[in-house]
Amino acid sequence: MICSFCSLLCDADDLNEIQCDRRTASLVQFETLRSIKAGLPQLEKQVDAELIIVAIESLRAANRILVTGRIASVATARAAVAFAAKYNATIDCAESGHVFKNVLAIQRSGLNSVSLAEARDHSDLFIVVGDDSMLAACPRMPAALSGGKPNLQTVLLLGDFSAAAAELWKSVGFDAWSVPCDVRTVPSALAQWSRSSDQSPSHRSSEMRPTKQLFERMAQAEYTTIVWSAENLRIEHADLWVERMLQWIAGRNETLRCAALPWSTLDGTFQQVCTWLTGFPGRVAFRDGIPQYDPHGHSYEQWIARTPIGMSRESIVVLIDETASSTPFLNLVSMQASGKCKIIELTGNSKCFPTAVAGVEVIADIFRADQTVLARVSPSHKLVPSIKSAAEWLEGLSQ
Amino acid sequence: MITRIHGAVCIDGIGKSEIRDLVLNGESICSLPKDSRADAEYRLDGHIVVSGGIDIHTHIGGGKVNIARLLLPEMVDHKRSNSERSGKESNWIAPLSSPVPATWETGRRYLEMGYTACFEPAVLPANARQSHAEMADTPWLDTGGYLLLGNDRLLLEWIRDGVPQQQINDYVGWMLRAHQCCAVKVVNAGGIDAFKFNQRHLSVDDQHSYFSITPRQILCTLSQAVESLGLAHPLHVHCSNLGLAGNIAATMATIDAVEGRRLHLTHAQFHCYAADGPHGYSSAAHRLADRVNSDASLSIDVGQVQFGQTVTLSGDTMHQYANRNLARPRKAIFQDLECQAGCGVLPFRYRQDQYVHGLLWTIGIELFLRVEDPLRVFLTTDHPNGAPFTSYPHLIRLLMNYDFRMSVFSRLHPDVQKSSPLPSLKREYSLEEIIKMTRLGPARALGLKNRGSLIDGSLADVVVYERSENPEQMFSRPRMVFRRGKLVYRDGVFLDDAMKSTVVANVQVDSQMDDLLNRIWRSRYGYSTEMIVVRSDELRSKNRTIEW
Ligand SMILES: [Zn+2]
Repeated sequence: MICSFCSLLCDADDLNEIQCDRRTASLVQFETLRSIKAGLPQLEKQVDAELIIVAIESLRAANRILVTGRIASVATARAAVAFAAKYNATIDCAESGHVFKNVLAIQRSGLNSVSLAEARDHSDLFIVVGDDSMLAACPRMPAALSGGKPNLQTVLLLGDFSAAAAELWKSVGFDAWSVPCDVRTVPSALAQWSRSSDQSPSHRSSEMRPTKQLFERMAQAEYTTIVWSAENLRIEHADLWVERMLQWIAGRNETLRCAALPWSTLDGTFQQVCTWLTGFPGRVAFRDGIPQYDPHGHSYEQWIARTPIGMSRESIVVLIDETASSTPFLNLVSMQASGKCKIIELTGNSKCFPTAVAGVEVIADIFRADQTVLARVSPSHKLVPSIKSAAEWLEGLSQ
Repeated sequence: MITRIHGAVCIDGIGKSEIRDLVLNGESICSLPKDSRADAEYRLDGHIVVSGGIDIHTHIGGGKVNIARLLLPEMVDHKRSNSERSGKESNWIAPLSSPVPATWETGRRYLEMGYTACFEPAVLPANARQSHAEMADTPWLDTGGYLLLGNDRLLLEWIRDGVPQQQINDYVGWMLRAHQCCAVKVVNAGGIDAFKFNQRHLSVDDQHSYFSITPRQILCTLSQAVESLGLAHPLHVHCSNLGLAGNIAATMATIDAVEGRRLHLTHAQFHCYAADGPHGYSSAAHRLADRVNSDASLSIDVGQVQFGQTVTLSGDTMHQYANRNLARPRKAIFQDLECQAGCGVLPFRYRQDQYVHGLLWTIGIELFLRVEDPLRVFLTTDHPNGAPFTSYPHLIRLLMNYDFRMSVFSRLHPDVQKSSPLPSLKREYSLEEIIKMTRLGPARALGLKNRGSLIDGSLADVVVYERSENPEQMFSRPRMVFRRGKLVYRDGVFLDDAMKSTVVANVQVDSQMDDLLNRIWRSRYGYSTEMIVVRSDELRSKNRTIEW
C-alpha cells in the first residue's frame, strides 16, 4: 500500500503493509467517477495489441478528451500530461477539488509553510484543525509530528475531536489540549485571540474558549505550526477559509514564527509534476499543445457537465487509477450524456487496460504529504509479473 | 558521423580566433586530415563557431522554482511569447511566457541562445530527487546541481560540538553522493536556520541565537571540506546580508572567512553595496572588483538586474521575508524546510525610474567592467532573480557597446546618473571575452575539462552564430547548434536531441556514514535515508547519462 498521505511517515519496511482507510474512503467521495467506474466491464488481464490500435483510433476520432483519475506517481503524471498535450485533452485529477482549496488560497495571498521534519524537530506548538476523520485517515500523524521531546511540544486540537484523539497525541509525548469548536469559526477566533492577546481570555466571545493556562501557552509559543487537511475540510468555500488561515499565519510572523503544514491529498504528486511540465498545478486544457489554465472551468466536474447530451464517441474520458484502493486500471470510457442531469452512460466502446499498482508492483516516485520530499517507493514483491504500469499504457496510447 | 565546418571563425579563448576547419567526429571535436571524407559539410563564411554556452547559476529545477510557478499562474502569457517570436523582429529573442516557465520552455529557450549546459545552484537535499526530475524534463540541456549546505541543523550542531573536520568532510562527501550533486552551495550561512529561531539578522560574526556559532565558522568549515574532498568547483557562496545597504563589509568578511581557500561568490551584484549618498545606498563594486582582481582564488557571477517583471526565489528566507512588502503582485511564499534550509518566493518588478533598482543595474555592469579576467567573472542574471535568462543577448550588447550602455544609463533615476562612475568606465568587451565568460570560464570553474573550448577531445557541443554588428541579435539566435556532434537545432527548427547528462561530483564516500546518518535521519526526521538517496541508475535512461 502506498500513499502520499502517509508515505515517509511509515518505516520503509512496512510501508507496503499498512492498511490505509483514507485511500478507500476518498474514493467514495467521488460519486461521478465512481458511477463511471461501476458501469465498466470486468477488467481483462490480457490486452492484445489490437485493442491498443482500436483505442488510438477512437482517441483520434474524439473531439473532447478528459484525462482524470487517481495518479500517484511521477512517471504516470508525466505520461498523463504528455498524453493530454498530444490529444489536446483537458487534464484534472479526481481529488483536485481538495487540492484547489489550498491552491486557490495560495495563488491569491501566498503562503508561509513548514515541512514535516522541520515542524517535528522545531515546533513547540501545533494547532491541528479538523475532526477525528483526519486521524482516522492518518493514524500516524501524531507520531510523525512528535519530536520525541516529552511535554516540550504542545498540541491544540481545534474542531470536533474526541477524547480518544487527544489521548493519541498524549501517547506520543504531546501536551494535548482540545477546544471543541466549529471549524468554520477558527480563523476568526484565532484573529480575535491575536487582537486580545494582552487581555484576559475570559472577555472574548468566540466559540473557541481556551483556558487561561492554554492561552498563555499559545502566547509563549515560539514556533507555531498549523495543520489541516484539505480533504477533511468539509465546509463551503474552503478556499476562503484557507486564505483567512494563511493571512493569520502571515500576521503572526511579523513578530514570532508560525507556519502552515497543509496536508496534501493523494494528488500532490500530480500537482507537482503538472506544475513543472505545464506551469500550472492542474485543471489544464491543451489547445494546439499549449496548456490553458482555468482553475474553475477546467475541473473534471465542469468538463462532464459540458458533455453534450446524446453524444457518444466524440467524448472520451481516460480514467486512470494506479492506487491500491481498488483494482487499478486505465480506461478509455466513451461517454454518452443523457437526460437533464447529465447522467453519464457508457457505450460499448469503452476499453480497459489493467495496470500495476504504483509503488507496490512497480517502482514509483511519490511526494510526501507536505510536498517537500519526493520518495522512491520500491515494490517489495511483484504481484503480477507481466502487468504494465499506467505510464506504459499511456505512452503506448500516445504513439 | 563526421561533420566538417568550413569558413567560420573559431573562437574559444584558448587558441587564436581564426578561420579554420572544425571537425566533429562522433561526440567529440577532433582534427582530421584535410582531405578525409565527412558525412556532412557546412560552408559558413561570415559566421563564428564557439562551444556550447554554460550557465553556472540559473534556477531551473526543484522546489522553489515549482513553488514560484504555483504562485504565479497569472504571469503566464504564451501569446506574448509566441507573437513576438513570429513578429518582424523574429531574429531577436522573445520574452519567456513566464519568469518561471515550464521545463520544456526553459530547455528550448536556452538552446535557442546557444546554451547546452545549465547548473541549478540550490538543491535542497531533501528535495534533490525532484530537482533532478525537473532537470531531466528540461530538454536540450546537460545539467548539474549544487547542494545546499550550511543551514543543515546537523552540521550546525557538529560545528558547535567541535566534531573533527574529517567527520564533516565525510558528511559533505556523503551528502553530495546521496543527492547526486556536483558542488556545495551555502546560502546566508546559518542565517536561514537562525530565521527559524526568529532571528531576523545574522552577519558574518554574529552568533546564531540557538547554536552559538557564527557564519564565519560555517564558511570556514565547509570550505575546508570542499577543499579536502577535492571538488572541482570551490564553495559557491551566497553571502550574508543579501540586498542590505552596506553589505560589502559582510562580503569582504566572507572572503576572509575561508582563509585563502578558493571561493565563488554568486550573484555578487546583490552583495556589494555601500551605505553612502543621499539615499544611504550606493555602489561598492570597485571594492569587490579590486579584491577579485588581486586574488586569483576568487571568482564571481554577477546576477545582473534588468528592468521588468520577474520573480525572486531564494533559499535565503531571512532576507526574502524582510522584503515581503516589496512583492509585486503582493503575495509571497516562505518555507522552512526539513532542518536543512528554506525558501522565499517573491514576485518583483525592477523599475528603471526607481533609484535603488537603477543603482543595482549599474552595480552589476560595473562589476563586469571592473573585473579584468573574463575567466573569473560569469554572465548571469541569477535567473529569474535579476532577470530572465533570455536577457543575456541584451546584456552582452550592454557589455560590448559603450554607447548603447550609456543610452540605457541616461534613462535611469537622476541621482543614479549623478553618482555612478559608469560613464567613466569605457571598457567594451571583445567577442573573445564574451565567449570566455560564457564558455571557458564556467567550464574551468566547474572542472568540466571537456567543455568550454574547441580543442581536440572536447565534447562536440558547438554553436554557430552569424556575425552581426549587433551582438544582441547575433546571440539571440544561432544558425546551428550541435550537441554531441549531432545537429539538434538549425535556423529556428529543433531537430532530434542528443544524450543528456547530469554532472555529478566523483567523491569517495566513507561507508560508516551510511549507518550513522541513517540513525540520525530516523530519529530526527522520522524516516530512513533509503527514502531520499538518489541512486545513480535513477539518472540514467535511454537518453540520459551521468558525467563524473
Ligand atoms: Zn541564485
